[in-house]
Amino acid sequence: MFGYIRPSKPHLSEQDEARFQSVYCGLCHELGRKYGFAARFVLNFDFTFLAILLSDAQEPECESCRCAAHPCKAQCVMAHTVALKTAADHSLVLAWWQLRDHIEDHGFFKAIPYRLAALLLRGAYRKARTFVPEFDASVQRHLNDLHQREREHCASLDQAAEPFAALMADIADCVDDEMRRRVMKEIFYHLGRWIYLVDAADDFEKDAHSNCYNPLRYRYELDGDKLDEQSREAVAASLDLSVHRMASAYALLSCGVWTSILDSIFYESLYGIGNAVLKGTYHKPPRRIHFRIKAEKNEETV
Amino acid sequence: MNDPYQILNIPPTATDEEVKRAYRDLARKYHPDNYHDNPLADLAQEKMKEINEAYDQIQKQRKASSAASQSHSYGYGSGNSYGNSAYGGAYGAGSLDQVRMAINRGDISLAERLLSGVSDHNAEWNFLMGVVCSRRGWMDEAKRYMETAVQMDPNNPEYQNALSALTGAGYRPNGFRSVHTANFDDSACLRCCAAWSCCTLFSGGGCYFLPCIYY
Repeated sequence: MFGYIRPSKPHLSEQDEARFQSVYCGLCHELGRKYGFAARFVLNFDFTFLAILLSDAQEPECESCRCAAHPCKAQCVMAHTVALKTAADHSLVLAWWQLRDHIEDHGFFKAIPYRLAALLLRGAYRKARTFVPEFDASVQRHLNDLHQREREHCASLDQAAEPFAALMADIADCVDDEMRRRVMKEIFYHLGRWIYLVDAADDFEKDAHSNCYNPLRYRYELDGDKLDEQSREAVAASLDLSVHRMASAYALLSCGVWTSILDSIFYESLYGIGNAVLKGTYHKPPRRIHFRIKAEKNEETV
Repeated sequence: MNDPYQILNIPPTATDEEVKRAYRDLARKYHPDNYHDNPLADLAQEKMKEINEAYDQIQKQRKASSAASQSHSYGYGSGNSYGNSAYGGAYGAGSLDQVRMAINRGDISLAERLLSGVSDHNAEWNFLMGVVCSRRGWMDEAKRYMETAVQMDPNNPEYQNALSALTGAGYRPNGFRSVHTANFDDSACLRCCAAWSCCTLFSGGGCYFLPCIYY
């Protein structure tokens, strides 16, 4: 479910890219430092985005580090901050429950890799739980609620998305300032709603084949394994409404050095990602995609 | 009061034209239409007040220092044009008045309870359901109810405004095109973003690692 959000590059300067990279690496190191090597693998762009939203507006402090993924070239890594710590704790709890979800959704054999991963992450999760006990409880409660609605074949997009959106909104409880917390709650609520709906659109075909619940099928009363043009447009319009809500909430924050990264996400890339998912052209970045992009760039320069 | 130039995010050396532009951009950003039936409307209203005051203050300072007097504040968003506080009790539909009052107070669950007790699902009922859903963040249902309200009573400006504010394009800073999920035709931005694949040894862009190992 996680891993959709990325900034849109044309709007970023090299400095912004370096900042994004430093948070990404910073979160990875934070996860490793606090929860052990296995925990590093829960890292994804959504959690990086979370860390950026929670960060202070000032320029982050960076240290130069090497790691298993970058053994030769040292990376600029954001030094430990409260935001990174909070993002790491919440990421781990979210990733754990997503893993449990996968185990329940798959048959015995298909779930074996997830079980193995759960085995590796169990210790880390138990530790994370002690730092954010309320959040852990709220995730469990909301996921039960989500499964309940799925069993009832809920035909309303909003009601089906509500538990996941509410679960994401609970991340904002860690913000101290009241005004900021209200704004964050709104952003995370609609982020959750958006992620849930994008994921539903992404999995539409798969769910139709495996006869699993998909809110879009019941909302638009579809029989086939593809979204028709009309319902695709309706989903797009519904996604737009959530992105607008996120953007208008975000407009109330001052994010300092993170402004251009967040601007590019809220004012452009969320639309692009939604569009790509609905068109079926969105793919989670496969291995070595950066080599392919380099090759493309070379072609352009030639 | 804070530095008015800081509020408008411009240096004190900015020309009159730059001040005006900065003010207009911010006024567009916090415009009531962007916060119609939005739980954060009060915060946007505060921001709007702040930038109006800052702009007026700069105008006054500049007028005092130069003889040539120029433009004045546009007064965007003064008063109660933010959707949330606009539901007056001047409507005579009995129990629906109470719903409006509950919405004004911000008591959304009471408003919903009251609405569910009303059997006559007329245009206003649909409109108020739309407002309640919108405040909740239930955008799909909000849109459906508002559309029904407009269909049932096409000449009511209140319903039309609410619907067009809900489906409006929202604010974009300069340099961002007005795109929608349905018409976004440039996938270049996504392709490039994937270049930040680091850290994860087994999977590309640091997407959730298990499916990547598995497939």
